[in-house]
Amino acid sequence: MLKVVHYINQFFANVGGEEMAHIPAELREGNVGPGLAFQQAFGDEAQIVATIVCGDSYFNENMEEAQKTIINMVKELQPDLFIAGPAFNAGRYGVACGTIAKAVKDQLNIPVLTGMYKENPGADMFKTSLYVVSTKNSAAGMRDAVKKMAPLALKLAKGEKIGASSEEGYMPNGIRKNFFDTERGSKRAVKMLLSKLADKEFETEFPMPDFDRVAPNPAVKDITKAKIALVTSGGIVPKGNPDHIESSSASKYGKYDIDGVMDLTEATYETAHGGYDPVYANLDPDRVLPVDILREFEKQGKIGSLHRYFYTTVGNGTAVKSAKAFAAKFAQELKADGVDAVILTST
Amino acid sequence: MEVNGLKLELGYIFIKDIQFAEKSKVENGTLYVNKEEVKAIILEDQNFKSADVELAKPGESVRIMPVKDVIEPRVKVEGPGGIFPGMVSKVETVGSGKTNVLKGAAVITTGKIVGFQEGIIDMTGPGAEYTPFSQTNNLVLVCEPIESLKQHEHEKALRFAGYKVAMYLGELAKNMTPDQVDTFETPTLVEGIKMYPELPRVAYVCMLQSQGLMHDTYVYGVDAKQTISTLIYPTEMMDGAIVSGNCVSACDKNTTYHHLNNPVVHDLFAEHGKTLNFVGVIITNENVYLADKERSSNWSAKLAEYLGVDGVIVSEEGFGNPDTDLIMNCKKIENKGIKTVLITDEYAGRDGTSQSLADADVRANAVVTGGNANEVIELPPMDKIIGHVEVADVIAGGFDGSLHADGSITAELQVITGATNEMGFNKLSAR
Amino acid sequence: MIITNNEKVYDKYKDKIKIIFVQGGFKDVLVKTRDKIHEGHELLTHPLSSSVKPNETPFKSVMISDDKRSLNLDSLYIIENSIMTYDNFSKHKFGMMTDQITEDFKLIDLTVLESALNI
Repeated sequence: MLKVVHYINQFFANVGGEEMAHIPAELREGNVGPGLAFQQAFGDEAQIVATIVCGDSYFNENMEEAQKTIINMVKELQPDLFIAGPAFNAGRYGVACGTIAKAVKDQLNIPVLTGMYKENPGADMFKTSLYVVSTKNSAAGMRDAVKKMAPLALKLAKGEKIGASSEEGYMPNGIRKNFFDTERGSKRAVKMLLSKLADKEFETEFPMPDFDRVAPNPAVKDITKAKIALVTSGGIVPKGNPDHIESSSASKYGKYDIDGVMDLTEATYETAHGGYDPVYANLDPDRVLPVDILREFEKQGKIGSLHRYFYTTVGNGTAVKSAKAFAAKFAQELKADGVDAVILTST
Repeated sequence: MEVNGLKLELGYIFIKDIQFAEKSKVENGTLYVNKEEVKAIILEDQNFKSADVELAKPGESVRIMPVKDVIEPRVKVEGPGGIFPGMVSKVETVGSGKTNVLKGAAVITTGKIVGFQEGIIDMTGPGAEYTPFSQTNNLVLVCEPIESLKQHEHEKALRFAGYKVAMYLGELAKNMTPDQVDTFETPTLVEGIKMYPELPRVAYVCMLQSQGLMHDTYVYGVDAKQTISTLIYPTEMMDGAIVSGNCVSACDKNTTYHHLNNPVVHDLFAEHGKTLNFVGVIITNENVYLADKERSSNWSAKLAEYLGVDGVIVSEEGFGNPDTDLIMNCKKIENKGIKTVLITDEYAGRDGTSQSLADADVRANAVVTGGNANEVIELPPMDKIIGHVEVADVIAGGFDGSLHADGSITAELQVITGATNEMGFNKLSAR
Repeated sequence: MIITNNEKVYDKYKDKIKIIFVQGGFKDVLVKTRDKIHEGHELLTHPLSSSVKPNETPFKSVMISDDKRSLNLDSLYIIENSIMTYDNFSKHKFGMMTDQITEDFKLIDLTVLESALNI
């Protein structure tokens, strides 16, 4: 009999609603709340030996603590499978389910499964690192969710081969898997076209990659009065790289003061970037971060002024997600500092 | 109502078995073939020094490789022209009258034109699930070229051998009463609008590979590289107006059989007059020269707009640079306000995580896939091999060590003829 | 001009067309092409020509414009995507290639290139 541990929040455990979201993780024996439906679906193939109940606020506000506690609970029990949720459209619950499931998977090497609505923020966050079953957007979809989650859960617990996302019910996770559909491709194409022509909903079999285009802002009205800031992914840092920005897959960015600095030199600056031959950038870092030219322009009145801070990171192998996150953060500072335009240099 | 345009009655004679016999004929669903007569047809071309003919039936432990082309035997019973116009028949316009088909039979040509050539058909086992030709009763032509025959001469000779044998077999059905008759009719544009004013107007944009040796397609005998996008009646395709000279790569190239049985054409006809008005077919090529791609896609979009269609289905052929043609066709047609659905296949890597297509666009939001061609498959040893087995290691999708000592093959789906067909011939898909 | 690592192409056209012969593999040809595009040349043929996969054949020929202008973004997009697609393919060793097979791959590359030259 396969052993399963189930994670749910305070609401589904019938402890209470938002007002009880602060309760810390507690271990209960057997199945609780929706666990019963899972147990019925498992029959005698698997048994929910324990349920961990945790308040959504508690989990999200004490992530490290909560994870540690729960991991220890799960470790003791040594289950064959860990299920979290389903969280439907509850955002914090979805994030909690995804986070704890991933932790169990990574740290304890136990197969995990969760489920939530496609628009739950936890879905985008976790669907590529673990199986997230697509559910309806409210608990009214519990029966449907269990129907999809239970069979997949058993497969995972038994170590069976997992098929394509549309066959098994999990959200497409970027790993393409072949399967035989019931109809041939041309027929599927005709049906898809009829839906598209009638403005009805259809699902493409191959979603195009996410382009994430940013519409450019209108041109600066008067560049001679503008405050320009320099930002680079070329990795220019003060000599010695005081903040230890990594030469690839950077996990941070730097903010440095060039007030009074008219020119970057070999003695004062360097590049941390590991993806290009550093010789010329080290000899004259202005080549990557053109401080000298902008200071000239400042003097000549061609620009209003050069902002005193520059922001830098290393673009080499750095995840798009990270880069987005850095920029979202310091863009706020640039705005607060009254910067009108930014010159971005990359390599 | 007497309608202009083209109307074709396709008569199917169902073939359930194939045998060698003294006299070639079709009787009670069995195709009997006189081996010597077929050999003689092949050897009419003095570029062949010898020829052999084999049978491969569904369920048998037989592997055919490397496969060049698969052709279905058909014959004109009534109406102008002959099958494969511009190739083995005169160029007269086909697609009307009556045509008989030996349904369930196929002619397969094999031969090592180039050392790395690909195309495997397994008649049983896991590989059989991925090719439609494990379900057909096959007459396999194994032809040996004369010494030092140039590759393109060899390709041409083999191509024509296939058509000639298919014609020979097709003739056997000429005076037979078909088991089933399907009628296909495409009215002229004006008549079509009058007949179905309420239905959405749909066209099919059929992309044809056109890149050089082993990569060519012919339309009424014209090399598709030399064509500009144009219109063709769907029933002309049923009479072999479009034939294949290409076999790279095996999984997503369209054999002549695929052209004759174009599934998009059939499935659009099934809905014609009911949920849509199947206006016609635009054929367009996939040249390597970038300016040609621009020209051809501009032309397809122009024709689609001119036909006044509301939507099109676009099918691709091949890998890599045709993805650029596919996206160009999609963008330009969508920009005319015409909705598109694309049919393609994927090369998402052995683990399925790589970018499936070599090009992309946000407007390509309705895509049907024939599957990931990089998925690895284990093909067990077969009792009989027709052709040349040693190419397994070098064929597309094969690799060093593909061919194992016991005769089994570990390779990507790419090697199987028709596996990820981009006309949507198969049920294979991916998510 | 043609960028190629295929001797067959070089030998046939060296007196008629400017050829940059790359001593290297498939990717080296793509990288050289990319460099030229950054210099301002326009891509004339698609680098992923032919359906023979990049990890199956060692030979590649690409046609670019003789003259240079400002950076052609379409050319850049195509060459960068082509390199990315190349990187997606698992690497083969070309150990099993006999002389005949090598000749055949060179021939296919040549005829596919010629399909563009003839136009």
